[in-house]
Amino acid sequence: MMVDSSMTETAKVSPRAGPSYAGWIGKLVASPLYAATIGLIANSHKTRLVLLLAIPLVWIVTLHIGPIYQMARISIMDNYPPAPGGPVYTLDNYRLFFQEPLYFMPFLRSIIFAVCVTATTLIVVYPVAYYVAKVVKPENRTRALLLLLTPFWAGELIRTFSVIMFLANRGAVNVFLREIGLIDRPIILLYNYFSLSFGVIYLISLFMLLPLYSAIEKIPSSLVDAAADLGAGPWQRFRRVILPLSKDGIISGCSLVYLTSIGVFAAPLLLGGPNSTIFPEIIASLFHGSSDKWPEGAAFSILMLAVSLSTVGLFMRVVGGRTVKLM
Amino acid sequence: MRSYFSDFPKTALQASYWLFVIYLLLPLALMMAISFKDANFVAFPIDKWTLKWYAQVLQDKQFLEACLYSIFIAVMTTLFATIIGVWIALLISAEGIMARSVIFALACLPAVVPGLINAISLRIFIRVLDIPTGTGAIILGHTVHAVPFVVIMVLTRLRSMPNNLVDAARDLGADSFVAFMRVTLPYLVPALAGGMVFCVLTSIDDFVRTFFLGGYQTTLPMLIFAKVQGGMSPEINAMATLVLIVTAAIGLYAEHFTRRSRM
Amino acid sequence: MQPVVHFRNVNKSYGSSLAVDNLDLAIEPGQFVTLLGPSGCGKSTTLRMLGGFETPTSGEIFLDGQEISKLPPNKRNVNIVFQDYALFPHLNVRRNVAFGLELKGMASDAIHKRTMELLSLVKLTDFAERMPGQLSGGQRQRVALMRALAPNPNVLLLDEPLSALDAKLRQQMQIELKSIQKTTGKTFIFVTHDQEEALTMSDVVVVMNAGRIEQMGDPHTLYAKPRSRFVANFIGETNFIEGRLKAIDGGLAAIEWNGSVVHANLNGQSPSVGNTVAAALRPEAISVLSQKPSNTIAVSGRITQSIFKGDHTSLTISLNNGQSVVAQLDPVALSAVTGDDVWLTWRENDAVVLAD
Repeated sequence: MMVDSSMTETAKVSPRAGPSYAGWIGKLVASPLYAATIGLIANSHKTRLVLLLAIPLVWIVTLHIGPIYQMARISIMDNYPPAPGGPVYTLDNYRLFFQEPLYFMPFLRSIIFAVCVTATTLIVVYPVAYYVAKVVKPENRTRALLLLLTPFWAGELIRTFSVIMFLANRGAVNVFLREIGLIDRPIILLYNYFSLSFGVIYLISLFMLLPLYSAIEKIPSSLVDAAADLGAGPWQRFRRVILPLSKDGIISGCSLVYLTSIGVFAAPLLLGGPNSTIFPEIIASLFHGSSDKWPEGAAFSILMLAVSLSTVGLFMRVVGGRTVKLM
Repeated sequence: MRSYFSDFPKTALQASYWLFVIYLLLPLALMMAISFKDANFVAFPIDKWTLKWYAQVLQDKQFLEACLYSIFIAVMTTLFATIIGVWIALLISAEGIMARSVIFALACLPAVVPGLINAISLRIFIRVLDIPTGTGAIILGHTVHAVPFVVIMVLTRLRSMPNNLVDAARDLGADSFVAFMRVTLPYLVPALAGGMVFCVLTSIDDFVRTFFLGGYQTTLPMLIFAKVQGGMSPEINAMATLVLIVTAAIGLYAEHFTRRSRM
Repeated sequence: MQPVVHFRNVNKSYGSSLAVDNLDLAIEPGQFVTLLGPSGCGKSTTLRMLGGFETPTSGEIFLDGQEISKLPPNKRNVNIVFQDYALFPHLNVRRNVAFGLELKGMASDAIHKRTMELLSLVKLTDFAERMPGQLSGGQRQRVALMRALAPNPNVLLLDEPLSALDAKLRQQMQIELKSIQKTTGKTFIFVTHDQEEALTMSDVVVVMNAGRIEQMGDPHTLYAKPRSRFVANFIGETNFIEGRLKAIDGGLAAIEWNGSVVHANLNGQSPSVGNTVAAALRPEAISVLSQKPSNTIAVSGRITQSIFKGDHTSLTISLNNGQSVVAQLDPVALSAVTGDDVWLTWRENDAVVLAD
């Protein structure tokens, strides 16, 4: 029949140009070693399911949940590593946070900062995403999008560095303004909230751009035409058709930008000043240097995690979305 | 008159786009320009041009070592994150899986936890388990961060895969392992390419996890961070420019590849 | 002769719903068999159980005398052509066809020879290096067919493979499929909901409804002698004669209908006299006369609608009892117009008594 017994030269390349077949797979599958190992699993339904389940579940439980669980556990210890005789569990670390304005104020600043950054990014990026998704001709769309994506392939630190050089006292902006005679002395642009926002938006606007773009691109043009046909002006078309239909993108984009901006670490270290200390720096300082205050740091991290995730949850509830697409 | 009104938003939109492009590109372009400046301090204007900073960077042993170390970490991260990410995606898309959405949400968890918190929780985790900081810890941290993105990309691609492709392979004599290797995996190639490039770039770029999990050996972002904090010289610009060109080239190529192979 | 495929008391249920209900079906080798029925009748489930993609809840399936119901698809010598072809998008036509052969561990040369032979059978040799995305619907269909035939299966399964094609191409493919089946001599099991497709190609048609076989037979028998109301309705157009059974005379049933007594073939049924029975009568079997014939039984009515359909004209005739009857006539021979009173008559054996 079809199964050929004269298969001595597998490696032999066929004389015709082109043909290449992977007949070795058949021999692999037929080999006793394979049948006893992978073949056994691949042909039995139950073993396969167990195997499919086991490793990913172990990974998720230990490495996605495990660290947060450990952080929560340490946050209610009085000392880490625990003193001999076992750990004493307490809520003091959480109480400290609310009693000490030195911690509480930067935390509040961080939240307000993240909200402001998110709102600004949305307002700045929405027209850009709209332009690329709907105004640019389809054949040029990829190019227009690539122009926006390219800077994000540079790393976080490189971009932060470029922002420093842009805003420094002898940086591009100040030199330019002095050259055209608008100023005599440099304006202080760096090491304050302005440079911090400028830099953070510079770092994370991509997370707003992509969800907005894909949401707006999916809106059928015929809907906008239909609205126009029914008498809606440009503002009405935007307000009543485009905006509600791009809601998913707005929700995803805002959630991502908010969650990222609340946890930025390198940028505040490099771009922020003494007056713009935000919470991540405080938390990090509890883990580094001589002050080994891990339980406090863990408690503050848990608080920050809880507040940031619940803000996003609240936001999604209010705006009325149900799911967040991450990409 | 009508056309004037409908034209106005278009012009405004176009202007906003180009202003945004300038905002994104100008600081990087200027940074690259300064790398050619023949002076010891970083400032405008540029009077004399030189390539000496590049020569210096390419002989800088510290820089080259950091590059190699970062690339090693990125490759290992990509390897692990791809395998685990595909595995989790297969689990989530498997027939008859219970609590699918819960598994998916947990699989995405490290992507929605703010970066700093993620890094700190991992730092605590490895200390509790007595794992030393250093290369292994960094790779672990980067992998945990990258897995959700691989899962999402692979799941998106799997969802577009016709159900009966695997059935057809099984019907033609493939067992489920061969069907996966010969049909599912090739189908996933665009998503895998995208996911892998994403893993490489985020790993090479990662600062916060490396900061908390790293040992004595310096990665590329740590080196740049130290140099930026330590005082500026156009050498950093040259370094940053080189890194930027390489990563952007990888990104562009991947973009091109994924677009082309999307059938 | 031993049947090549034998379902024995096969049940398949999903939760509480029964997709296949106690199926007993034997298929002779070398035949073109069609499973015909509306969607949800269990025909696709039956096919998928044979392919190995579903496991029966109970019962046994034999392939060449071997019990296979628990074997995975890759261990069964049957191949399937999927509704949407399921061609591997990352492999070219040649590699698609060769897929099953590669898994058999054949040598490259033998694979190549066999693949090219098959492709030349459907005149696709020139397209061997194309990707599936670059082919037309009909070409994809042929590639899928050859891919399934390549490993030389005992039985070829076809799951509504023509439904994605347009009407012209579908007719052409029907003829091609039938001729490929003839040349290869293989058993084809074809699933469709299209009765015309079933009648055109099949040696045997199995009409299924609600998980059960309604009737099985050659196309002509199914059309001329439907056993149940479902079959009569599903295949072609039908008029139903319903009335009290007055007498059984020889092979004929005498039924009281519309004020007269009409005759119908008993069709293997044995209804009891005095009960209500139903008989099926095809529209094209009816003659429409302007005057009452003297030598035969006839029913009177009035034409209420006349629709010209090209090769025939379809008349709707209202009977005195309020029922309507549809008759098909040659438009050239027709002189009657809407509103005319007419007499309907037919050969006694053209009406057949139904089981329900």
